[in-house]
Amino acid sequence: MKVSVLGIACLRVFWELLAFECKKFNECNVYPREKMRSALVFEFNDADFPRKSYETKQYKKGLKAADAILKKFPEHGETLSMKGLTLNCMDRKSEAYELVRLGVKNDIKSHVCWHVYGLLYRSDREYREAIKCYRNALRIDPDNIEILRDLSLLQAQMRDLTGFVETRQQLLTLKPNHRMNWIGFAVSHHLNSNGSKAVEILEAYEGTLEDDYPPDNERCEHGEMLLYKTFWCSFVYDIILQISLLEECGSFERALAEMHKKESKIVDKLAYKEQEVSLLVKIGRLEEAAELYRALLSMNPDNYSYYEGLQKCLGLYRDNGNYSSGEIDELDALYKSLAQQYTWSSAVKRIPLDFLQGEKFREAAFNYVRPLLTKGVPSLFSDLSPLYDQPGKADILEQLILELEHSIGTTGKYPGREEKEPPSTLLWTLFFLAQHYDRRGQYDVALSKIDEAIEHTPTVIDLYSVKSRILKHAGDLAAAAALADEARCMDLADRYVNSECVKRMLQADQVSLAEKTAALFTKDGDQHNNLHDMQCMWYELASGESYFRQGDLGRALKKFLAVEKHYADITEDQFDFHSYCLRKMTLRAYVEMLKFQDRLHSHAYFHKAAAGAIRCYIKLFDSPPRSTTEEDDDKADLPPSQKKKLKQKQRKAEARAKKEAEGKNEESSASGVSKSGKRHVKPVDPDPHGEKLLQVEDPLSEATKYLKLLQKNSPDSLETHLLSFEVNIRKQKILLALQAVKHLLRLNAEDPESHRCLIRFFHKVDLMTAPATDTEKLIWSVLEAERPAISQLQEKSLIEANKFFLHKHEDSLMHRAAAAEMLFVLETNKKSEALKLIEDSTNNLAPTNGALGSVREWKLRDCIAVHKLLETVLAEQDAALRWKARCAEYFPYSTYFEGKRSGMYNTAYKQMLTNPENGSASQAGVSADAIASNGKLEAFKNLAIST
Amino acid sequence: MGAGREVAISLDGVRDKNLMQLKKLNIALFPVRYNDKYYSDALASGEFTKLAYYSDICVGAIACRLEKKEGGAICVYIMTLGVLAPYRGLGIGTKLLNHVLDLCAKQNISEVYLHVQTNNEDAINFYKKFGFDITDTIKNYYTNITPPDCYVLTKFITQPQPKN
Repeated sequence: MKVSVLGIACLRVFWELLAFECKKFNECNVYPREKMRSALVFEFNDADFPRKSYETKQYKKGLKAADAILKKFPEHGETLSMKGLTLNCMDRKSEAYELVRLGVKNDIKSHVCWHVYGLLYRSDREYREAIKCYRNALRIDPDNIEILRDLSLLQAQMRDLTGFVETRQQLLTLKPNHRMNWIGFAVSHHLNSNGSKAVEILEAYEGTLEDDYPPDNERCEHGEMLLYKTFWCSFVYDIILQISLLEECGSFERALAEMHKKESKIVDKLAYKEQEVSLLVKIGRLEEAAELYRALLSMNPDNYSYYEGLQKCLGLYRDNGNYSSGEIDELDALYKSLAQQYTWSSAVKRIPLDFLQGEKFREAAFNYVRPLLTKGVPSLFSDLSPLYDQPGKADILEQLILELEHSIGTTGKYPGREEKEPPSTLLWTLFFLAQHYDRRGQYDVALSKIDEAIEHTPTVIDLYSVKSRILKHAGDLAAAAALADEARCMDLADRYVNSECVKRMLQADQVSLAEKTAALFTKDGDQHNNLHDMQCMWYELASGESYFRQGDLGRALKKFLAVEKHYADITEDQFDFHSYCLRKMTLRAYVEMLKFQDRLHSHAYFHKAAAGAIRCYIKLFDSPPRSTTEEDDDKADLPPSQKKKLKQKQRKAEARAKKEAEGKNEESSASGVSKSGKRHVKPVDPDPHGEKLLQVEDPLSEATKYLKLLQKNSPDSLETHLLSFEVNIRKQKILLALQAVKHLLRLNAEDPESHRCLIRFFHKVDLMTAPATDTEKLIWSVLEAERPAISQLQEKSLIEANKFFLHKHEDSLMHRAAAAEMLFVLETNKKSEALKLIEDSTNNLAPTNGALGSVREWKLRDCIAVHKLLETVLAEQDAALRWKARCAEYFPYSTYFEGKRSGMYNTAYKQMLTNPENGSASQAGVSADAIASNGKLEAFKNLAIST
Repeated sequence: MGAGREVAISLDGVRDKNLMQLKKLNIALFPVRYNDKYYSDALASGEFTKLAYYSDICVGAIACRLEKKEGGAICVYIMTLGVLAPYRGLGIGTKLLNHVLDLCAKQNISEVYLHVQTNNEDAINFYKKFGFDITDTIKNYYTNITPPDCYVLTKFITQPQPKN
């Protein structure tokens, strides 16, 4: 390297910068607490982001130095790279990449250039590219610890586990006296599902330590008590990790022995006992385990898993909850004795309700419910609602609570009791009953009960929330939103009721109102984006779904993709922990976190968002937005060559615009730096309404991106494969569509949607022209081989298969509707027959022996789907109207069917809102302010004294 | 849960965040809707307007307005006092009224008054228990209820001599 003295001096600045950069990447961002601490320190020193301005100053210094060198040696690769990295830190991305690439080109043998290139990619989260760069750097300088460590982090992030093990091994070989390298090597093996190897490593490491650890002061040189303690605690974590490793590779006995040996050194006594008991169970030493569970219960008698464990040890546990009568007696006796020991436990009283039956259940429920109604526990119904899945228990509960209601209503006491109940008991009893009838679909009764409760005590917020929920279930979404708003107004400081109200508003498609309401609880300023920054996913999903219902695909996509982005961010977030957790030794939590991240995209919110986005893209494909089609129409008369040119021109113009925009961004951020020292000025969203999202060229390939994530992470969801079918059938990907059909049949062949896909698929196949190309022939041969394997189609034509399906599920509305639709698809001339199939369906009474009213089987959601089928697919307006009239009878509260009781609550409430002062203002002759009259005093006997 | 019989009754102030509770009570208790002035007076009266909670349920309220008499002395006008029907007879009204009377004593306010419809004997008897007396009758005070007349009930609080 021919660098002058001046150059070397400048380079030193660069090395410092590089070190600073590496440090920043490795440490500054690792953990919120660290961040917070450093932020605090800085805040104390100076309020105006001194760290940033310090950095900026350094960067400017660095740039100056770089330019000085480059003046003399314009080709100097490492300087070019460093200048690029510096620019990257100043948000001048495109220049940065240019320079760094040039640097690598000029000095391809320099590990620094490659390392910098890797850092650049890493800062842009392009980990695959970054790994490549690091590998190149290591080829030149194989023992560079900095680079190796960086590489190992990336490998952990990308789950390149074999690579991770290799890198960790290399690091250990290079620096065997670092504890972190031993632990890192063990963890890498653990992640690579080589538990026994991990244990060996940990044991080998332990062997190198003195017996009376926490060991010598070698690594506690700082002598700080705190560090010492962390070290010691972390050592204990090593042990626990080791034990859980042993457990994972099946040597339970050894794990247990190991644990007992180290008992004195494990600080987390509860984790110790829980680990011990699970080991005892696995080895089969059940008596000891039972004893230990009892000990744990005396520590926390409300932990359901301890009870479950104890039952398992006693051989009294069934996953499905179906116990023999002998077992029930034993369990009953067990819990009675436990209840005497743990008088304050509520779990011990609640669990027996799960297994007791008949009269015993009734008695236990009676005893369980009474004090809670007296006390006023609003969550009582959700506590008991799992019991509604067990046949008969809901009926018993209904009778029981009605009896209580009657007794309190007439005597003010529980049946057979002497003490008078407080007045609120009746309120909570009514509250429970309302939820009970809501659950059973008897919305009329539910509403009358909740109204009675509101009449009794109009100030309890939960009553309005429940009423809102009942109305939602009954199909009056606008009224539900109004009620939720009423609940919200009663406590403006309660975020939960506010959120619930927002959700109801979104369900009623009142998006702008919902936005305003939600913004009441966001920080001032950028209110709407604030919800996005807080990763408020339920909100984004609900508003995306509302936009989708309203046909605003752009905004819908925007919301769904926002949720998808949150998940990408969560995946990103783990990066910081790879180095942090190894350093801080929070190993168990680390490994758990990695496992959680591995199944992150199977989370329900992600599933919903991806499914929503795919639906948008499908709709976009089926009916593209007008503007593009119009444009295409305009261009239609142009010859193809000119069309191509036009397109190229457009593309170029777009690219130019993009570059300009970027330049502007850089400018503005650069000036932002100099003025305020803040570098991250929030960019303005260039596409707030998602209009650009609608301009995708190939919506189906966009959909496929998200579909792949669903297929990988939710392979057991029917919806995944339904969407896969819809996308692939549109893309003419016959075999992929077939695969989707097969998955559907595997998951639930009797589902109406599975049936639809099956028939539609083979109907389409039957209509295809004879194969011409080789690929087509191949597809045909696959189809021919696969078709006989599908049992639904064996020796049956599609028409017959459809009939067979219909006969099998004659009593189900949705199955009949599916069969009718398919009949129409297969034989278009049989529309009237299809209509008859749907209209002849009968809505039977659901089997119930409830004391009040009766319920029919059909669900509102299903009836709406059938209405849409009649209206759009079969396109029979008369039939649709007939259906609507019929359903309006079944669902009187439904606004969709315009039932006679729909909209009632809404108007009543609005009237109250718009006309809140009827009376006082118009009462002339008295003082200007409000005068209450006691005209109806007889109604409130004792004490309602107004003046 | 034998101990559950004794339910705690507590008082809480009225703020803009929970003003709706007072409105809900008034809608349930009185056949008249109050205007905004009522509520702003209530908020302005500070400690003189209180909600009563029966365990966690808001069941009653007293709402007052502070008035300046000629000569600058302040008197308290009780605009409303009410408890939801199911929760009457539990001493909640007494607690609310006592709160205001105590406050008057503390703040050297010597006069508390209110209006009551002439046939509202329960109310009159209730206030008499606390030392209120009928000091005036206003004819045709109410417009759309009978009887339209009201009494003015006043309690003069004799202040304990400050420097005894």
